[in-house]
Amino acid sequence: MIKFQFTFAVCLLALGTSVALGQNIQGSAHDFSNDNWNTTGQICIVCHTPHNADATVTNAPLWNHATTTATFTTYNSATMQATTGQPDASAKLCLSCHDGTIAVDNYGSQSGGSHFISGGPRIGTDLGNDHPISFTYNSSLASQDGGLHDPSTTNSGLGGTIAEDMLIGGKMQCASCHDVHNGSGFAYLLRKSNAGSALCLTCHDK
Amino acid sequence: MRRIFFLLLFLQTITAAAQSIVDTPHNLSANGPGSIHAGSETEICIFCHTPHNSSPCAPLWNRNNPGQNYILYQSSTIEAAPGQPDGASILCLSCHDGTIALGAVVSRDHLIEFSGGITVLPTGHANLGSDLSDDHPVSFIYNTSLAAADGELTDPATLNGPVQLDGQKVQCTACHNPHNNIYGNFLVASTHYSDLCMFCHQKNGWNGSLHRVSSASWNGSGNDPWPKSTYQTVAENGCENCHQPHGAGGAERIMRHLPEENNCLDCHAGNVAAKNIQSDLNKSYRHDVFAYTHIHDPEENAVSDIRHVECTDCHNPHVANGTDASAPVASGAIEGVKGVNSQGSAISAIQYEFEICYRCHADSPEKPGGHTSRQFYQTNVRLEFNAGNPSFHPVEASGKNGDVPSLISPLNEASIIYCTDCHASNNSSANGPHGSVYSPILKFRYETADYTSESYQAYELCYQCHDRNTIVNNQSTNFANVVHRKHIVDLQTPCNVCHDPHGVQGSSTNQSHLINFDTSVVSKSTGRQGKLEFIDSGSFTGQCYLYCHGRNHNPKRYI
Amino acid sequence: MKKQPFFYGLCVLLLFVRLSFGQNMLSTAHDFSNADWNIHGQTCRVCHIPQDLDTVESNMPLWNRAVSSASYSIYTSSTLDATPGQPDGPSKLCLSCHDGTLAVDCFGDRSGGLYIINGQSCIGADLRDDHPISFVYNSSLASKDGGLYDPAITNSGLGGTIADDLLIDGKMQCTSCHEIHNMTGAAKLLRKPNIGSALCLTCHNK
Repeated sequence: MIKFQFTFAVCLLALGTSVALGQNIQGSAHDFSNDNWNTTGQICIVCHTPHNADATVTNAPLWNHATTTATFTTYNSATMQATTGQPDASAKLCLSCHDGTIAVDNYGSQSGGSHFISGGPRIGTDLGNDHPISFTYNSSLASQDGGLHDPSTTNSGLGGTIAEDMLIGGKMQCASCHDVHNGSGFAYLLRKSNAGSALCLTCHDK
Repeated sequence: MRRIFFLLLFLQTITAAAQSIVDTPHNLSANGPGSIHAGSETEICIFCHTPHNSSPCAPLWNRNNPGQNYILYQSSTIEAAPGQPDGASILCLSCHDGTIALGAVVSRDHLIEFSGGITVLPTGHANLGSDLSDDHPVSFIYNTSLAAADGELTDPATLNGPVQLDGQKVQCTACHNPHNNIYGNFLVASTHYSDLCMFCHQKNGWNGSLHRVSSASWNGSGNDPWPKSTYQTVAENGCENCHQPHGAGGAERIMRHLPEENNCLDCHAGNVAAKNIQSDLNKSYRHDVFAYTHIHDPEENAVSDIRHVECTDCHNPHVANGTDASAPVASGAIEGVKGVNSQGSAISAIQYEFEICYRCHADSPEKPGGHTSRQFYQTNVRLEFNAGNPSFHPVEASGKNGDVPSLISPLNEASIIYCTDCHASNNSSANGPHGSVYSPILKFRYETADYTSESYQAYELCYQCHDRNTIVNNQSTNFANVVHRKHIVDLQTPCNVCHDPHGVQGSSTNQSHLINFDTSVVSKSTGRQGKLEFIDSGSFTGQCYLYCHGRNHNPKRYI
Repeated sequence: MKKQPFFYGLCVLLLFVRLSFGQNMLSTAHDFSNADWNIHGQTCRVCHIPQDLDTVESNMPLWNRAVSSASYSIYTSSTLDATPGQPDGPSKLCLSCHDGTLAVDCFGDRSGGLYIINGQSCIGADLRDDHPISFVYNSSLASKDGGLYDPAITNSGLGGTIADDLLIDGKMQCTSCHEIHNMTGAAKLLRKPNIGSALCLTCHNK
């Protein structure tokens, strides 16, 4: 019995370690406080403002950045059961820099910025070659697809279920994989380590 | 109770794990279980997929198109039109054609290093190369009209099991699920009893065939018929007794071996099937299946126009079964084979056994010659056995002679016999004319040389049906005494000298009783009215004009 | 008038505070002593009076202003775990100028003022584009959100914990970020400078 308790304690410890948040946005790829185009020297302000936020974008927390109006080409596949639409909610916020149509420095009252994202981080407006986003991922989809775990019952490895930890409004979004604030400190601002493709296999039952 | 609970938990874990790519050879990460894996890369999905900037887009592919010009599968019997690999297949080939390094992924600007210095997929069964002619065809449209044209394919509209099309096409993914290896070889269903194959292939007659149901297993001698299989019986191995979906030795129709007969002799050599056909086929006089390779074609004309013989000329391995039959009806062993009927017309499936023989031994320009020089020389056996002839052995119909006292019961004058009652392997448990020590593939000894000393053994073939005692020892009638005993025993003349065993065209006066002289022994009578002729004068009476053994019959009557 | 000495005492205290912190509200955005609408020419009186005249709201330090009766639109977000209600406590006092419904010069017994706040300083009655306020921020919220520091144990950088220094009755209010008397001298009357978004990141674990 003592042994059992010990094992249990080790498990809890391991769980605690895996969800520990050891990093933050400071010094991450999203910390623009030292970029020459950011005259404020602040971090949050490129995306957020405490006042006069753009509340016209849904699910945009105190949004302070120009928002993309691009029409996106969405991912399509014969083997995909999910129904994707135009990027919505927080995905649209990510794309407001990452689609390359809006300057990174178009935040606050500034417009006419000249710093556009480039290289690998530039997703573009063609999302056909990117993992689908902005689709409802629920038990029914998992059952229909057969290659996805049930988000309402499957542990995300982040403390709760996939639905609780990784979906936003029941949808898969950019933020399902990426922690824009770098809470975990993994490469590519991933929500969790992808060693052993652990992030992919959180949802994909392959 | 708690112990059982943990056991169940453990089992559940195993089951779940077995269905994950993580535990398959497709886990190419450094921690992968296969012999081929990366040196240090721990990501698994990355070797095929990327979440961004994929190419092609779906399914988020992370590898380049090999850009090869593939040699495609070809077959005379295929109705489908395979094109250059596309869809999912070209994705698979980005590793499995062996041209692109396993570690070459789009999302990395450097090659992911593999352990052991491996770059491309090593040579082996998983490396298909760019010659796909020996692999099951892929990248072809499989629709209802294809199924109808083929006649032995499931209507794809009803494909609702594990086999799924990629759009309208059959691709590698119809049979393989690269993420799941519970059936081995990443198959989507078990090949046990060829379950997988039969989702699409509905071969006529297969469900009733012996190859479908036989529980015969390898007795350990000779070759292992199933070197790549763990299944123990013919039925369990199903299609793969003969077919090999990848790297087939006989590319066309993905046969395991190019020499057609080898596909059969893997099992019919005394090692699996009860009857050893190979030993018959090794005898001096045989249907020489070894002599021809890649000449037989299932699409060939029923009337054979290029001389050859293969097992499948006489047997349909998808249909062959153990059904018994009585002459002239074809038995199950040769059911479902094409043939030529008594009118000389091609038929797709024989009803009578002789219809197979007529493919090559009747109207074929390539038919073999006769073995005896006859007064009326005929090598078209269909014409010889024609029921309208004045005499013939009763192969197509009952014989013309209503009084044949030599017949051994249960044979009688109304009986019909098979070609294979005479032409068959000697001393064999198999019925067919596979091979014999007696020419021309005779079941028993049948001497044809002049001056053969009569014995049961010398004419054992004839004496199977015609009682020797009645033929040569019955001295009760003048005919028996003077004609048969005198010629066969005293003058040592073989049956074959006077009788043509197949049949003779002509008149009921001159060509009855299969009389058609061997002209190497018998010649025209000499003197006035010199001729070679038999005249039937009624029951057991007649006369002959001939010269034989130094004697002149001009004519010689017997009453 | 007996509270008058206390009022002057308060001014003395503020002077003392100035000596300590190096700043006070004189000559800052909240010093209206020279505004033409301020007939008294006093600084504090725009908000405070020695007599406790208005007892409608709690936490009203000798309040000398009408309090807005506006109904506010409250910030919402799918990622928000807090439950902000109508503004209360000190926030309500701030909004009695900053919601733009009452004239700045409506203090004391004056009514029908003319000077309405405008520009960036006018928050308006629509608070949906503003950082949420008037919500309880405690350990439980921090744990539920995952992106907030535990206020009970996290150092505010101002001497004590977040709860000690920045919360009012356990709630996040306008005054959690803003020091209306400008004792720190930080821009926008912030409680502490926001260089590198230091103020934001005091609470936000991003």
